[in-house]
Amino acid sequence: MRIALVLNGKKRALDAPPLTRLLDLLRGPLGLTGTKEGCGEGECGSCTVLLDGVPVNACLVAAGQCDGRTVLTVEGLGTKDELADLQEAFVKEGGTQCGICTPGFLMAAHALLAANPQPGEGEIRESIAGNVCRCTGYQRIVESIRHAAKERASRESG
Amino acid sequence: MNPAELALYPFERPGTLAELCRTLSARAGRKERTVLLAGGTDWIVERVLAPPEDPDDLPLVLDVSRLPELRGIQLARERATIGAATTFLEIRSHPVLLRRAPVLTAMSRDVGAIQIQARGTLGGNLATASPAADGAAALMALDAEVVLASVHGERRVPLSQFFTGYRATRRAEDEAIVRLEFVLPRTGAHQAWRKVGTRAAQAISKVALAAVAELERGRVVRAGFGMASVAPVTASLPTVRALALGPSLASVSDEELDAATRRDIAPIDDVRSTAAYRAHVASALVKAFFRQLRAGPGL
Repeated sequence: MRIALVLNGKKRALDAPPLTRLLDLLRGPLGLTGTKEGCGEGECGSCTVLLDGVPVNACLVAAGQCDGRTVLTVEGLGTKDELADLQEAFVKEGGTQCGICTPGFLMAAHALLAANPQPGEGEIRESIAGNVCRCTGYQRIVESIRHAAKERASRESG
Repeated sequence: MNPAELALYPFERPGTLAELCRTLSARAGRKERTVLLAGGTDWIVERVLAPPEDPDDLPLVLDVSRLPELRGIQLARERATIGAATTFLEIRSHPVLLRRAPVLTAMSRDVGAIQIQARGTLGGNLATASPAADGAAALMALDAEVVLASVHGERRVPLSQFFTGYRATRRAEDEAIVRLEFVLPRTGAHQAWRKVGTRAAQAISKVALAAVAELERGRVVRAGFGMASVAPVTASLPTVRALALGPSLASVSDEELDAATRRDIAPIDDVRSTAAYRAHVASALVKAFFRQLRAGPGL
């Protein structure tokens, strides 16, 4: 099946079996290995990407269902040389340790801040409730997201 | 099976409900298997966990997730109509449902984390017919009707009659669930959603209770219940409901509620919990709802 989508802001079209998982499409033919596979059952959130701006588990989305839609992966947030503010915040605040879950957390947090620039702690925790981290104990991740929100607000007011 | 084998399944995306019904009818006539795919939160997981199917006998997968006839929420003349492919995230974000059917909003927020809410649909939840389905419990408490469509037209099945056994429903092979309908509870009706599981965001229920009751001068004039994970199908708690609708709410004792709950459920031991724990929690949730009713006016 011909699948045309907007991926990280660029129009892309490729041929792929329609029931290929979006996760495999990204990591395979599209070469975007930033999105990680954890459980492969929609439990851990490691493969979280945004489909039309909303967080989804890429392991549970059929590639054919992405035709005509917009997909944002961690590669679309910042570049190797210039990280996005949210990524900087995770680095600075210790929101990342082993790193496997980090792309998923970043995408969930990115969607949260796009919809709600000044979330409370409860809203932050709810937004990442579908993402599992076995290193940090979550507190540093919550701090990282809060830090990014605060920085954005001070940039805007300054 | 290896997830890579998903690529072997034939897949089509019908553009209209009429086209979907024609395909379903033709395939059912030839005894060919068809899968209707919406969010994939059950089907894809099940495929990955199950042994591989015979590659020469795979079902055709029809993507119904964006069929216009299956999408959207309409409210008119005190009736709610929700398209079968409406996601939990869309339901949870609907302001009128939050006011008039908060049991549905609360369930949608609890059914899974946001990644699951964004994909899972009410129609998929009913078609999968898991006794643990949160959506089925909430819709049962609202006395919803399931609207099925085929080339022969539409028919309606009350949700209380929709499930025929463990993971079995009245939907025929040539039919699709197109929408759910229910009469909106009146403003101020008591509505409760209580889910007991191991993790707030992403757990399958050990027990969940959805309950709706309208009070008029101290008497219950409308009551509906749906309980997940306590029987082979979603439990509608008919004995508990009869107690709620009885002449005097104040005179219903905890012992009567315990006995009614025991009669209405058939819990088992499984990977998620035990029959004894489920029976205990089921009774506790029912009694808590009755305490809320006795305490007076609703929301």
